[in-house]
Amino acid sequence: MFKKVLTSGLVTLAFLGSAAHAEDQTIGALFPLSGPNAEYGDIFGSGAGMAVKHINEDGMLSGTLSLMTEDTQALPAQGVSAMSKLVSVGDVPYTLTSFTGVSKAIAPIGDERGVVMVNGGGVGPDLATLSEYFWNVIPLADREMRALVPYLANERELKRFAIVYVDDPLGESILDVLEELVPETGGQLVGSHSVATTTQQFSGIAATLRSQNPDVIIVASYGAQQAQLVKQLRDNGVDQQIASYTAFSIPSMLNLPEADGALFTSQAIDRESANDVTERFFNDYEAEYGKTPSAYVINYYNAVRLFGLLAAELEKEGLEITGPNLLQKRKDMVEFEFVGAQVTFNEDGTVTAPIEIREITEGRSNAIAVVAE
Amino acid sequence: MLLLQLTLNGVQTGMLYALIAAGFSLIFGMTKIFHAAHGATFVIASYAFYHLYELSGLHWTIATIGAGVAAVIFGAGLYLLLYRPIQRSEASFFTVFIAAFGAVVVVQNVVSIIYGRGFVVAQTTLSSASEILPGLYLSPLVWISVLVAVLFFAAISLFLNKTNMGISIRALADNPELVRTFGMNPNRLSLYVFIIGSILAVPAGIITTISVGVSPAVGHHVVMISLAATIVGGIGSLTGAAIAGVILGVAENVALYWVGSQWTEAVTFAILLLFIILRPSGIFGRAITN
Repeated sequence: MFKKVLTSGLVTLAFLGSAAHAEDQTIGALFPLSGPNAEYGDIFGSGAGMAVKHINEDGMLSGTLSLMTEDTQALPAQGVSAMSKLVSVGDVPYTLTSFTGVSKAIAPIGDERGVVMVNGGGVGPDLATLSEYFWNVIPLADREMRALVPYLANERELKRFAIVYVDDPLGESILDVLEELVPETGGQLVGSHSVATTTQQFSGIAATLRSQNPDVIIVASYGAQQAQLVKQLRDNGVDQQIASYTAFSIPSMLNLPEADGALFTSQAIDRESANDVTERFFNDYEAEYGKTPSAYVINYYNAVRLFGLLAAELEKEGLEITGPNLLQKRKDMVEFEFVGAQVTFNEDGTVTAPIEIREITEGRSNAIAVVAE
Repeated sequence: MLLLQLTLNGVQTGMLYALIAAGFSLIFGMTKIFHAAHGATFVIASYAFYHLYELSGLHWTIATIGAGVAAVIFGAGLYLLLYRPIQRSEASFFTVFIAAFGAVVVVQNVVSIIYGRGFVVAQTTLSSASEILPGLYLSPLVWISVLVAVLFFAAISLFLNKTNMGISIRALADNPELVRTFGMNPNRLSLYVFIIGSILAVPAGIITTISVGVSPAVGHHVVMISLAATIVGGIGSLTGAAIAGVILGVAENVALYWVGSQWTEAVTFAILLLFIILRPSGIFGRAITN
């Protein structure tokens, strides 16, 4: 009897010991899961979810990695509540974030609590300067516009620019960049139209755009609104070239017949790169979702993969997985093997990647030019 | 020409707002139920039309009938299965409001699960504008919106003023007990009000699906416009809600002539605020007394 009790006690102790060593990890995700931008939440989540699956399948960490996703509705106030929950209840050392307005709102919380925040969707240029805990795995709007505007002005000889931008930090930052860049390329900004995030009627803007007669219209919006805007511009006789940034890469834009011929920028992904990570990601994603992943999917896959790589190194060294340790480790590690490329972080927590110009044609987009940085 | 263009755009928007607001105002005025789920009725009608016309490839008349049936089933079902039980338990106004708001969230999520969370549109050539005068572009939908709104308002006006059931429904707004005394069933009349109110959301939903496109979250905007038009028009006045809807639509568009596009929604709510301050009873509302 005594032997039995002793044996079972030792087995229990051994089990507890190994469980304590194999510590499960949870990271956060701040995505829009409801509201007019919820489509992005699905896209971001598909990339992040696949990375979690791969990390767990590979046993990259001693325990199991899980994702705690909170809904921001792409609104700053909801983002702050969601971030507070992740930090206070979830006690996460690392969270994914999206949308410029949300990211700017949550950054002070993460900075104060030492939580790493990784953005793969927002492109406002000032996201580069929020905090050393705030990293970007997506090229920001200034870089995308620095690729797009010279291409439009020099290659397409489109000199008269107009912009329709959403009245939030993202839209305003793209307007600022255009006001600086367009004159530099010998062009002229002939009209700028700000719209509230909730606006759905654009026939009036179409009328004023027609009277301004630009060569190209830059759309700086996102989600359902940008699709409604493009449709209404075309329906109301605006036939000029339309151009935008990565936000155009979602299915509701690609499948919109009125968006045919529209141009947008996105970071260039080298699918042919001799990289096992890239090959596995594309094969598994296409098998699971039956379509080619967009840049957003890749960004959030890379953002979670980045956590896996950093946390694995910390575990090897017997260090605790905390925000400050993750930050230090990112600074120590020179290069990261991401989907599509070997990536190096800049001092400000951004990544440098070549930008490509894509054209929407019959429900899909094709790269028509690559602009190296 | 730009001003004329903006005015005509505003007329189209205003006609849709008028139809949406009239349904909400009719239900609120006659039954005193704050039907915040009117936006959900709009979403259901829009997606039913999208499903039947765009996805199933059926003729637009069948798709329209299908959208009407879906809206009526939802509106009437909500009254019978949600509002009536709440009213029977003599719950407060806020209980009904929260229940209705919950229904909007449920519909938004169910529609998102079935059709995705993105924007959908029913493609027709009716939404394409052509230049009818130099610098003036109009799509056939402008005339269709006006025609449909006029027909619906004429029909509902005739119904409410010239038929026994219509007169009974109007009496319901004034004195439900009196209606009961005359041997009529207020619950049945309320059900008819929900059916008519839901039908009024159908043409607006269909035209929006064709011209602008819809997403599952569009219901909140519909409720905001309905509420603003109901207050500006005068609570309980169908004509008031209709006229207010047109005023709000035209003002939202014409404002672009003088102010930036980011201020157009502010114009809508500035009008609302002005009415609340200067004429709290609205255009056709009854005088407010202590």
